[in-house]
Amino acid sequence: MKERYDVIIIGAGVIGSAAARELSRYKLDIAVLEKMPDVCCGTSARNSGVLHAGFNNRPGTKMAKYCVEGNAGFDRLAEELDIPYKRTGKLVVGFNDDDRKALEKLKAQGEANGVPGLEMVDKAFIKEKLPFVEGEFAMWSASTAILNPFIYTVALAENAQKNGAEFFFDTEVTSIVDDGNMYTVNSGERSFLAPYLINCAGLGADRISRMLGIDEYTIYPCKGEYYVLDKRAGEMLTIPAYPVPNPKAGGLGIHITPSLEGNVFIGPSNEYIDDPDDYAAEKDVMDMLLSDGGRIFPHIRRDHFIRNFTGIRPKLVSKEQGGFHDFVIERRAEAPRAVNLMGIESPGLTSAVPIAKEAVRLLQEVLPMEPDPTFDPYRKGIVTFRDKTPEEQAALIEQDPDYGEIVCRCETVTKAEVLQAIRNPLGVHTMTGVKYRCRTMMGRCQGGYCQMRVAALLMEETGMKPEEVRYNKTGAYVFTGKVRQI
Amino acid sequence: MIKKIHRRAVVIGGGPAGLAAAIAIHDKGVEDVMILEREPRLGGILNQCIHDGFGLTRFGEALSGPEYAGRFIDLVNEKHIEYLTDCMVIGLTPEKVITAATREGLLEISADAVILSMGCRERPRGAMSIPGDRPSGVFTAGVAQAYINKQDLMIGKRAVILGSGDIGMIMARRLTLEGARVEAVFEILPYPSGLPRNIEQCLNDFGIPLYLSHTVTRINGRKRLESVTVSEVGPDMKPIPGTEKIWPCDTLILSVGLIPENELSLQAGVELDPVTRGPVTDENCQTSVPGIFACGNVLQVHDLVDFVSLEAESLAGPVKEYLDGGLPDCRIPVEAGNGVRYTVPRRISGGKDVTLSFRPSSPMREVCYEAFQDGRVVSRLRLKKAVPAVMVHMDIKASELRGEGPVKVVARIEE
Amino acid sequence: MKSEYICTVCPNGCELSVEYEGETMISCTGNLCRRGFEYAKSMITDPMRSVTSSVLVEGGVMPLVSVRTSAPVSKKRMFDVVDVVKSMKVKAPVVMGQVLCENVLGLGADIIATRTVEAAEK
Repeated sequence: MKERYDVIIIGAGVIGSAAARELSRYKLDIAVLEKMPDVCCGTSARNSGVLHAGFNNRPGTKMAKYCVEGNAGFDRLAEELDIPYKRTGKLVVGFNDDDRKALEKLKAQGEANGVPGLEMVDKAFIKEKLPFVEGEFAMWSASTAILNPFIYTVALAENAQKNGAEFFFDTEVTSIVDDGNMYTVNSGERSFLAPYLINCAGLGADRISRMLGIDEYTIYPCKGEYYVLDKRAGEMLTIPAYPVPNPKAGGLGIHITPSLEGNVFIGPSNEYIDDPDDYAAEKDVMDMLLSDGGRIFPHIRRDHFIRNFTGIRPKLVSKEQGGFHDFVIERRAEAPRAVNLMGIESPGLTSAVPIAKEAVRLLQEVLPMEPDPTFDPYRKGIVTFRDKTPEEQAALIEQDPDYGEIVCRCETVTKAEVLQAIRNPLGVHTMTGVKYRCRTMMGRCQGGYCQMRVAALLMEETGMKPEEVRYNKTGAYVFTGKVRQI
Repeated sequence: MIKKIHRRAVVIGGGPAGLAAAIAIHDKGVEDVMILEREPRLGGILNQCIHDGFGLTRFGEALSGPEYAGRFIDLVNEKHIEYLTDCMVIGLTPEKVITAATREGLLEISADAVILSMGCRERPRGAMSIPGDRPSGVFTAGVAQAYINKQDLMIGKRAVILGSGDIGMIMARRLTLEGARVEAVFEILPYPSGLPRNIEQCLNDFGIPLYLSHTVTRINGRKRLESVTVSEVGPDMKPIPGTEKIWPCDTLILSVGLIPENELSLQAGVELDPVTRGPVTDENCQTSVPGIFACGNVLQVHDLVDFVSLEAESLAGPVKEYLDGGLPDCRIPVEAGNGVRYTVPRRISGGKDVTLSFRPSSPMREVCYEAFQDGRVVSRLRLKKAVPAVMVHMDIKASELRGEGPVKVVARIEE
Repeated sequence: MKSEYICTVCPNGCELSVEYEGETMISCTGNLCRRGFEYAKSMITDPMRSVTSSVLVEGGVMPLVSVRTSAPVSKKRMFDVVDVVKSMKVKAPVVMGQVLCENVLGLGADIIATRTVEAAEK
């Protein structure tokens, strides 16, 4: 930890990590402060994992602009950062005349935003692409893609770190003091100093904003619950399929999205809540998701269901207000050395890098930045075993026998990958940190077979005592100690 | 470089089923038999079952899991039966080509006969969708058992158990003996899912209450589990509003069902029975794919390992017959009627005596199980008491069967 | 006095109804065999249980060796036996069947290893 930094970034979700990477292109000392033990623990992780095309956003908004830019730039980004993704395209499916009118408007909106590859298609097209989906006609969006939001965020963060950014986990910001030239950002007993600051705190961004002296924003947490269907459903749904959005309901409605690994996410629901940390899943939602989703994907069955998860949207409008609020990306007179990012909900994931670039541009108005010629845009992820041909698999094992030891049977994850996940450059050592990096514990048995080995490897590699192993956050201990303590 | 080898018979899984099958196949003269086991040692799930009660019928002794497995492992070693450990099968084709990963490389084994004995997995919380938070401290019973018995890791101090399956009750006792407080066991059904003997020795012995017709309706705790909300359920198994009670605890053990592990079977095109979730088999334990056989928990979830060994041994003769030229067709379907959840096997030939295995669909007393063929009773079994937790075995003599009409097993209460 | 017990001798789990006076049994119904009758008797006088647990291993390929009592012991003494087990330590290698504690607490049963634990290589 340095005595002082040039820029402090608060929050290591996809936005904070993207900002860290963009800043690391310059000769700057950067500190990223994250309250959780890992990157991507909030909204960034809990969504459908879609790279949106940008037709759902109003022309002239930042959401529209950055979404289209982010989508267009993704091929190159994914190549640089070794991010797995698939340009599946997407079908927005309709049944009646109202739907058709709405879709034509959507298409026009998309075209106004500069979205490429939009076309109205007929039933035959739907049947050819997605034989198990029901619909009379649809809008086809060729540029929509699916990705793994966790790996995306990890890749941004790891590359930022490689280029000098420092990440501090379990570091929740408790207060900020500004003496006019320097910010002192306190986290309990620790203090970080920097003249400049970027607020990427997601659900906590209004809190941080108030600490900066900008009082006008309130984040209204809005819960969205998803259900995960197993690979049998995934075989029937290989392309995202959405119903025509209902403008009154807001958001995108219940949609059905395949994941890269072959599962299907159905959701999200839409429910304003009081507590921004309340990720609890509710019973009635399942019935609603099954019936709404069942309209366009009638093959959904309850026994496809493996598990559920929830995400919370950082909305800038309350339930009563309703309506729409654009991304807030600003540098204001009240806090001229800080960039304030608020309300980064969908399409935040897609827009992450353009948003980060804009935040940097705003900061450049007050902070001259010298490009760093040693900046290396490349990052290599964990080499996976499961998606290789038998010959490639045999070669992997020959190079490293740990590839011959399968730890997670359901997802075919090898010891080599688990070790790489544990030895991650950011130094994250929670069970979920390992889980999200290499996919152990994410299959049909949900860790029934591999959890024990992952815990053992984690303790072996880090020297942690049993009671120090955390599941996903500080306080979420797994073991109370050894069985035999003599 | 993929190492390619050939074996006459390959047994996938070196737990009690696979061990017994391999030994019996070897004893029938098929010495070219190989066991593939993913763990570092043979024994399967028995390695973590340190409680006793195994082998009462087979050996007349109350052995612990490792001891029971040890008897078979000793025979495997004495007979020099080939096996690989730390070997995970990742592929199986209908042509019986097995792909397996080992530290030494990728292995491709072409087999003349394959014996599936991969056992089962536990139903995880997700598939049950209990609403609420996602704290640490929620474990399926088998995971808790492995942590405590194999890795010397203690998982909590104050536990609640959902599900009165045997493993849950065994863990109730284990946790109590290790100094944890087990508050209660909750079972959604109006009757227990596990063996009566376990209720006595694991719960009653320690004063741990068993609440039937109750279930956990919410999990509470942002970091580590803090409590669970429990409700009484009605005959429709839905929670009765107003009966919610909070039970403080730091550990929730889930013992809510076992699912046969049949991913490889599906890869090979084996037809599965939707009730057992195991392969549909005939009296030879042969699946719908000729030359692929199944036994043990992968076929149907068992409650007694002694019977697992018998079931596994029963397929040795048929495997030899298959390898020598083929097995006769089994054309007589066997169906489960009233009071019977399923039957194994699902098809018989009528050419030899068979033992049917099935589970009662609900607890019954003074019950008479009858197997009918074309209106005639071909076998009858009377039991003073039958519960779903205890598998029932009924013998059918070949001499009683005529023609290819289906055989249906039905339960009848006798006054 | 009347009591109900579930017999644990074999998987049938017969429900025994027992009438007794002090430590003398008057009647027993519900048992399918003689062993159940004997079990009922023992439940009144002194129920017996086998105890299974784990002992810490030093220098083994596994941290624990599973153990059990070689014969059932009085149920009243179960926790005492577990306390002894918890205080024990054994050096690898341990062989299945090895007696780790003879005649534990004078109860007429040994604590025996129920698996083999090889010594770990250095």
